[in-house]
Amino acid sequence: MSEPSAVTTQPASPPLRAPALSEIFRALLEADFTVQLRNNRALLLSFALPLVLLYALFASVAVKRRIILGDPEFKIAAALTLGMASIAILGYSMTVARDREKGVFQRLRVTPAPTWAIMTSRLLVQVAAMLAMALVVLVAANLFGWRIFSIADSNSPDPADSFVAYVLTFICLIFSSALFLSVGQALAGLVKSADTLNAVGRIAYLPLFALGLFSQSTVFGTTFELISRWSPGGTVETLLLGAMTPSSWNSDTWLALAVSTAYSVVFAGIGIRWFQWGAR
Amino acid sequence: MTSEAPPVSGLALQVKDLRVSYGPKRAVDGVSLDINEGEIFGLLGPNGAGKTSTLSAIEGLLNPTSGSILIRQVDARAHPGLAKALIGVQLQSTSFQSDLKISEIVKLYAGLYGVPLTKQAIFDRLTEIHLGDEASRRFSQLSGGQQKRLSLLIATVHDPPLVLLDEPTSGLDPQARRQLWDRIEGIRKSGRSILLTTHSMEEAQSVCDRVAIMDDGKILTVDTPAGLIEKHKDDPNVLAVARGQVTLEDVFIGLTGRELRE
Repeated sequence: MSEPSAVTTQPASPPLRAPALSEIFRALLEADFTVQLRNNRALLLSFALPLVLLYALFASVAVKRRIILGDPEFKIAAALTLGMASIAILGYSMTVARDREKGVFQRLRVTPAPTWAIMTSRLLVQVAAMLAMALVVLVAANLFGWRIFSIADSNSPDPADSFVAYVLTFICLIFSSALFLSVGQALAGLVKSADTLNAVGRIAYLPLFALGLFSQSTVFGTTFELISRWSPGGTVETLLLGAMTPSSWNSDTWLALAVSTAYSVVFAGIGIRWFQWGAR
Repeated sequence: MTSEAPPVSGLALQVKDLRVSYGPKRAVDGVSLDINEGEIFGLLGPNGAGKTSTLSAIEGLLNPTSGSILIRQVDARAHPGLAKALIGVQLQSTSFQSDLKISEIVKLYAGLYGVPLTKQAIFDRLTEIHLGDEASRRFSQLSGGQQKRLSLLIATVHDPPLVLLDEPTSGLDPQARRQLWDRIEGIRKSGRSILLTTHSMEEAQSVCDRVAIMDDGKILTVDTPAGLIEKHKDDPNVLAVARGQVTLEDVFIGLTGRELRE
């Protein structure tokens, strides 16, 4: 191998200027999207898990011909919630913790990029991933619901019937993604080690997502159903359920919107207050 | 929000009475230093002396308790965005996003300084440091020397007037170290100033125009390497540790003590 060239003789090129925010955001978003698309684990969590749950829930309906956990729309809401929880809790928070341990954030912080821009870029990519996941799940739900299992009763999911339902669903998805991303931020703020966060994230999955699966079922009693309904997962499922069937939007849905916003504010507050950019 | 740096004053960096604390512990205690245009300035000190904390404060990673930092007359505490555009930084241990290729890493960091680079320009810059063939590899797949070369390239991707290097040659074999010294010298020849920290007396003598020895958060002495030896050759503490002719290492040990630092 030949010797590397000894010197760089390019002259310094004054006057230097602080880069425009648009230039910074363009560079950050391009890099963050590339990282997201290359991360096989994140892609698996983003798309495969909710599709598996969706398939399982609809398959159970097809086989037993009865609704176990809730209406078909609820099953879609549950799959969407699982997708968002996976992206935020197992994907986003882990990536943040790992990059923090490796010093990636410190390297970015010595550039002119403001710290809020570094984090906003990452969050925007996660929101985009959640919306992409939602699109895939909704398309798959139509396939599962109508073509594979032929569930043709009046409650069957067919969001295509209603443009309003789609728009409302995507608006509520943004509120819901804010909730789970703020939870992910709080976890990354409170737990510094990536290994510990991996373990804590899996445990946190239970109260944050799995509990919500029973928000429409009294199989464990009404008290459990109430707790489940207002857990983060249950709140999001109630909200999405209302969005997918606008005619059923009621005071509970409004309350779910308010509660999910409150959750977002509280968890984001925790995540910002205790977040540290460096591992030491 | 684009703003430009004021005209050059002759000083690349002015630090006055800088203090940095971690809770009750004062890591940097009244450090003042000036670095001229085109000068390579070395900070020497044992572990925990405050070298990295001083650099971190200048880089904007730490918020100083008090003191002023002027980078080409730009107040770094009042205008951190502009000040950061004026410096290039190589951290002690650098890591980049593991899923990015090194060509994408160069593109990212150039973009963060508002320097648009074409694919060809990125390839040319990588080729210049003999990493052209590695453009599609990940940072973690590079050897230690290659990583250091890439880090230095990224630190200077926007041609900053001041480059801060935190122990740039630690962990490198002699060949890679010599090559990096050549590159540092090349950066200086292009008109830029360099502030580096090091534990290597050989590096300080070979590369630096002036050297400051730090301990307990304070600068103990500043001069050229030869000037430091001349200034302290009759110091009893230095003579007590010297084995024959007084060296820069004797001066360093004599001023900072023989006890081990963690």
